[in-house]
Amino acid sequence: MTFLSRKTSIRLALLAAWMLLLAPTACGKPAETPPPWKVVEASTLRAMMADDRELPVYNTMSEIECLDHRIPGSQCLACEEIENDPVAVLPADKNRVIVFYCESAGCYRSCRAAGAAVNAGYTQVHVLDKGMPAWKQSGYSMETVERIPRGSIPAVRASALSQMIAERKDLLLVDLRSERSYKAGHIEGAVNFPLYRLSRNYAEIPMDRTLVLVDDRGFRTLLAGSYLEMKGYRVMRLFRGMQAWQEMPAAK
Amino acid sequence: MLNTAIKRPHGHPAGWILLVFLALLCRPAAAPAAQDCRFCHDEPLYRVDFNRSIHAGNGCTSCHTGITDVEKHRDGKEKPAPVNCGNCHEKIAQEYLSNFHYIQEDFRCSDCHRNIHAIRKVEGKHVKIAVIEKCTECHGNADYTASGHGEAVMKGNRDAADCSDCHGLHSTRVFHTSLEQYPAEAREFYTQKCKGCHADSVMMTRNNLSDKMVAYYEGTYHGKVQELGYPAPVAGCGDCHTKHNILPKDDPRSSIHPANLEANCGRCHSGFHPRFLSYQAHPDYTDRQKYPALYVTFLFMGGLLVGTLAFFWVHTILWWRKVYWEKDRMEREGIVPPSVVATGEGLQQVERFSVKYRVMHVLLVLSFFTLVLTGFPLKYAGTEWAQTLTRLWGGAHVSGLFHRGAAFVLIVGMAYVAWESLKFLFPKGEGKKGWLGRLLGPDSLFPNLKDLQDFKGMIRWFFNRGEAPKFDRWTYWEKFDFLAVFWGMFAIGGSGILLWKPEWSSWLVPGWVLNIAALVHSEEALLAALFIFTIHFFNTHFIPNKFPMDRLIFTGTYRLEELKEQRPLEYQRLIAEGRLESMKRGHPSIPLKLISATFGLGSLLLGLFLTVLILWSLLFG
Repeated sequence: MTFLSRKTSIRLALLAAWMLLLAPTACGKPAETPPPWKVVEASTLRAMMADDRELPVYNTMSEIECLDHRIPGSQCLACEEIENDPVAVLPADKNRVIVFYCESAGCYRSCRAAGAAVNAGYTQVHVLDKGMPAWKQSGYSMETVERIPRGSIPAVRASALSQMIAERKDLLLVDLRSERSYKAGHIEGAVNFPLYRLSRNYAEIPMDRTLVLVDDRGFRTLLAGSYLEMKGYRVMRLFRGMQAWQEMPAAK
Repeated sequence: MLNTAIKRPHGHPAGWILLVFLALLCRPAAAPAAQDCRFCHDEPLYRVDFNRSIHAGNGCTSCHTGITDVEKHRDGKEKPAPVNCGNCHEKIAQEYLSNFHYIQEDFRCSDCHRNIHAIRKVEGKHVKIAVIEKCTECHGNADYTASGHGEAVMKGNRDAADCSDCHGLHSTRVFHTSLEQYPAEAREFYTQKCKGCHADSVMMTRNNLSDKMVAYYEGTYHGKVQELGYPAPVAGCGDCHTKHNILPKDDPRSSIHPANLEANCGRCHSGFHPRFLSYQAHPDYTDRQKYPALYVTFLFMGGLLVGTLAFFWVHTILWWRKVYWEKDRMEREGIVPPSVVATGEGLQQVERFSVKYRVMHVLLVLSFFTLVLTGFPLKYAGTEWAQTLTRLWGGAHVSGLFHRGAAFVLIVGMAYVAWESLKFLFPKGEGKKGWLGRLLGPDSLFPNLKDLQDFKGMIRWFFNRGEAPKFDRWTYWEKFDFLAVFWGMFAIGGSGILLWKPEWSSWLVPGWVLNIAALVHSEEALLAALFIFTIHFFNTHFIPNKFPMDRLIFTGTYRLEELKEQRPLEYQRLIAEGRLESMKRGHPSIPLKLISATFGLGSLLLGLFLTVLILWSLLFG
């Protein structure tokens, strides 16, 4: 009997070894630490807004973008404004439920705003999961306060732009990124007009030159360009933004 | 149309009559007609261009709803509601709700259809050009417009893809490929788009292109993994041909021009020798002129497959016929085989396979099934079952890892058998002395002259021309099973190792050898699977006197009477050499018998099930 059970155990041991050999291939990803705010789905946010008509829901894009299209009943409050002084712009009651959302599924700006709010002591901070795209994909409507007709703003590639800068004198590079990003590095000669304040100070931009708009990744210059075109400027934009400029191999 | 702005009267039918009457009499006052609007809105756009536009038949208020009274509107008391194009263009509006331009950029109809009041219908033959002109207002994509498809469209080709043929018009998908957020879905989506036209034989023929390129691609590793539908990172069409700059390979600007190939393949593959680039991404096995080596391999592998299977299937059918008829005769005559009614000494269990070989067989079974279950979904990637199976594995990538894991086990097993064989031929102390005798002796698995005689004897027996031959320890079909695995290992294992890390293999062999390796691997796998699941299963388990299975390989022992009956020469040898006593064992335990039966029958059923799937895919896939 012992002989047979030894045989069985050898077989079982080999089977176990086989399983162990193959097991590592089936392991999942390590769990990420959850953010210090609550992530809500579009349907949840809609229900929350229906329950509480006064619920502060903040669109963290620039005023220009927010007034063009936003979730009905939400307010425009750019994430830079929140970061600069959360207590001044957010509700006085720090236990009030507040919700942030932004334009893209990556929720980069709403998360920055939420981080600033949490640090300032707000306890009920929410972020709309996957931002406005998720809201739209759920089939919910949008609200327009000041619509900007989309223009056909020519996009120039980084390499073409560097050539144009060398050849043309009538260009003005307008860097739409935040002051901090601008200070960290920008294209030589570019002036900084952060998009979140542009609706207030665009008139300071001279009108006698063709503007080349620069942002982080090229997603925001179309609307900003359309806005400036509506205001009478001649505008171009840098295709894929500073990302493309930085990726461009240095000229010999 | 004009009544759209009038509120529907409720209740009494007289209301209707009154309304119609009023509408006929004082239509202008109730709902403004176009001429009333133009009285104030008198720009040429509304007076002239609009009347020539596609919407000329519609009144102003069919879009600008909410105006019931011109006077009130003129006095600023009534403002039109926002225009909703979806009121008429319902299907487009629905589609557009998931359009990238809406989801990410919040474009509305008029942002593209800018000059809506003067918009005209584009004639069929100019639609493609109009689409390109519209998209390039914002997307100034010179790569596309100046070459390949775009260039062809602009020259008047109506088959070449305009922007909307790949990206959709109102259904442009949200892929965000620039953010690398949905690369797998995007690759899958666009590859399907390319296939849609490039597999259309009528369209390809009239454009002087081959309609087979898609099929050839689908025959390669790239194409098969892609087709499985759970794409591991593998090249779809756009990965090699790029997205917009799609040009024939003789154009120096083309990504597949020989000068650009290294950079092109290098975007996914790294660490390869330049000769890696001779790999064919769309090979045609049947093209003797272009791919002679592949063609010869294809013929050879096909011949080997058909020849081996045909030979053994005929052998098996004849054998089954003989045994079945024989069994029938014995049943009729009431003859029972001595092994069944064995008593006394005949019941004694004798060892045929030691624990080591039984464990090895279990490992072989497990690794073989893992290889078949992970490999064949790739071979028949287009079938439903392959895709389901791959999903069960957790995707093509995980499935591939299991394939390599099982291959490793099998290769180690084969190396061990090779080592055992060498020890058998050159045992300790004996050295080289007498190795030939051992090689051709009765305990060897190497074929010898007696096997040829046995084979002839079996054939005579099949046709009732003589007694069944008397076998020693190994029959010729067992030797073939054993050697076939060995021979197969060189073909399937060798090609598999080359394909394991193709970039490294290119330091040994040129890229086109990898095409051959892929072909050999696939065909040899088919041969091995069909051989095991039909011929080996039948010869060992389904032969009528062993049906449904012979548990011998798992329990390791059988009755002395069975040894006498099945291997009479071995029995005589064991007696003569006085070794029989040392081979006697106890009866296998109930747990061992249960495990053997479960594992054995499970394997047999799984094998048969896979055979059905494989044959189905082979014949109708």
